[in-house]
Amino acid sequence: MAKIVCDRVSKEFIQKGKIRVHVLEEISLEVKENEFLVILGPGQSGKSTLLRIIAGLETPTSGSVFIDGKPVDGPHPSRGLVFQSYMLFAWKTVMGNVEMGPKLRGLPKKERREIAQHYINLVGLKGFEKYYPHQLSGGMKQRVGIARAYANNPDIMLLDEPFGQLDAQTRYFMEKETVRIWEAEKRTVVFVTNNIDEAVYLADRIVTLKGKLPGRMGPTFVVDLPRPREHTDQAFLELRQEIIDSTELVL
Amino acid sequence: MVTIANEIKVEVKERGQFRPLKLLKNRWFLYALSLAGFIYLWHWTAERRVFGGGLPLPWDVLVQLGKLTVDPLAGKNLFEHTWASTRRILIGFAIGSSIAVPLGLFMALNKYANAIVKPIFDLLKPMPPIAWISISILWFGIEETPKVFIIVIGTVVPCLLNAYNGVRLVEPQLYDVVKMLGGTRKDEIIQVCFPAAFPAIFAGLQISLSIAWTCVIAAELVAARSGLGFVTLQGMTLSRPAMTVAGMIAIAVAAWLTTLLVSGLERIVCPWKRGLENV
Repeated sequence: MAKIVCDRVSKEFIQKGKIRVHVLEEISLEVKENEFLVILGPGQSGKSTLLRIIAGLETPTSGSVFIDGKPVDGPHPSRGLVFQSYMLFAWKTVMGNVEMGPKLRGLPKKERREIAQHYINLVGLKGFEKYYPHQLSGGMKQRVGIARAYANNPDIMLLDEPFGQLDAQTRYFMEKETVRIWEAEKRTVVFVTNNIDEAVYLADRIVTLKGKLPGRMGPTFVVDLPRPREHTDQAFLELRQEIIDSTELVL
Repeated sequence: MVTIANEIKVEVKERGQFRPLKLLKNRWFLYALSLAGFIYLWHWTAERRVFGGGLPLPWDVLVQLGKLTVDPLAGKNLFEHTWASTRRILIGFAIGSSIAVPLGLFMALNKYANAIVKPIFDLLKPMPPIAWISISILWFGIEETPKVFIIVIGTVVPCLLNAYNGVRLVEPQLYDVVKMLGGTRKDEIIQVCFPAAFPAIFAGLQISLSIAWTCVIAAELVAARSGLGFVTLQGMTLSRPAMTVAGMIAIAVAAWLTTLLVSGLERIVCPWKRGLENV
C-alpha cells in the first residue's frame, strides 16, 4: 500500500473576500514507503500549496489526501516540514531549534538533548549547538531546518524548495548532503523544487506539475540511476533533456 | 574544529603600524575632536555674548554642577533632585509598562479584547500626554501622584502599540512550524508569539522612557519643589543660566542612565540580539 495518496486534490483560495484563485486542479499521486519523490514545477504551479495540503496545513477544496490509508486532518508530528525560508526560531540556539519537536511532545530534557545532538551531528553541525541562527550561513540554517524536522522522528519528510535561497555551489553541496542524510536515515520524502538538475539528482521518481495556475499533473519520470549520481553522466543528461523536452521548464 | 566545506566563518582583525594619517581615520580620535570642537564653539559663543548673558561659559556650568552637589537648592542637593525625578520615572514607567505590555499582547491575540479596547485607545492616542497635566493637578493636587500619573499616560501608548504590533508582525509560518512539530495553540503563543515580540516590546519601552522623561520635566516645570525640571526652572527664575544648563546636563545624564537600564534588561531577556547591533 502506498504511504501517501493524493486523490484528485483541487484547491481554490478566496482572496480579499471574493476573488477566487484556482491553485491546484485534480492532482493525483502516490508515494511509496521510503521513496524519494520530487515534485517538479515552475513558479506559480501550486507545488508549495500541494505540499502544505499533504502537511495538513491547508485543506483541499475537493479531493483528499490519505496517509497510511487514513485521511489527513491537520498537521501531525509524524510529518516533518522543511521550509523554503528556513523559519528558524531566531531566539533559540541551534540546539534549542532542533530540540523543539521533542520538547513540545514533552520529552524530558536529557532525552531530547540526546535526540537533538544526534541529528545535529547527522546534518554536520557538531560544534555549532550554541550558535544563534543569525550567526549561521544560509546552508547551515537549512541544515538546522532539516535537523529540526528529523528530530521529531517523522516517517514522512516534506521539503518545500529548501535550497531555493542558496547560491549554486552551496546548493549542489546541500543536495549531496540531502542524499547522504536520507540514505543514513530513510524516510518517505516529498521534495518540491523548480530545478530540473536538483530533481534528477535527488529523486527516485519525479512528478511534474504544469503551470501557470491552476497547477495540473504533468508527466512522471522514474529516475533509475545509481547513487551517488553525477551531473555530467550521460544517462543523467539524457533524462534531464527528456524532462526539458516534455515540460515547459526552461533553464 | 568542524569543517563544512565552503561554509566556514572566519573573523579577522587587522592591526597595522601606527601612522599619523591613520589617526585621522580613528573613530575615537574623531569623537574627541568633535566634542572638543563643540565645547570650543560653545565657549566662543558665550564669551562673545551672542545670547546676551543667557549662555553661560562651559566652565561656569561645571562649577555650578559642583556647587549643586554640595549646596542644597530648596532643601535638596543635585543628587537628591536627580533621584526625585528618576524615582517618578521608575514608578510611572513600571506602572505604565506593566499595564500596557500585557494589554497590547492580549489585544493582538484576542480580537474581542481588541474590539473593546482599540476605539478608546485610538481616541486617547493622538492626545499628547502633557495635555493631561492641568487636569491631573486638579485631580491629584501637586504632590507626587499627578507627576507619576502623567508618566503612566505617556508610557502606555508606545508600550501598547509596540507590544501589539510586535505580535501582529510575527511571521505566520513560524506558527506552522510549531503546528508541524506537534505543538498546541498555547505552545504557539509561548514558543513563538512572545519571544518574537520581545524586540518590538523593548523598542516600545525605549520610546516610552524618553517620553516619560519629557513628561516628568514638563510636570516639574508646572508645579514642583524637587526634581531636575524644578532645577532648570529655578535657574530661569533666579536669572542664573548656569544653573539651568547644569540641570539640563543632569537630565541628559539621568535619562541616558535609565536607557542603559532598559537596554541592559533587553540583553538579559533577548540573548539572541547580542552582537546583532553591529552587523
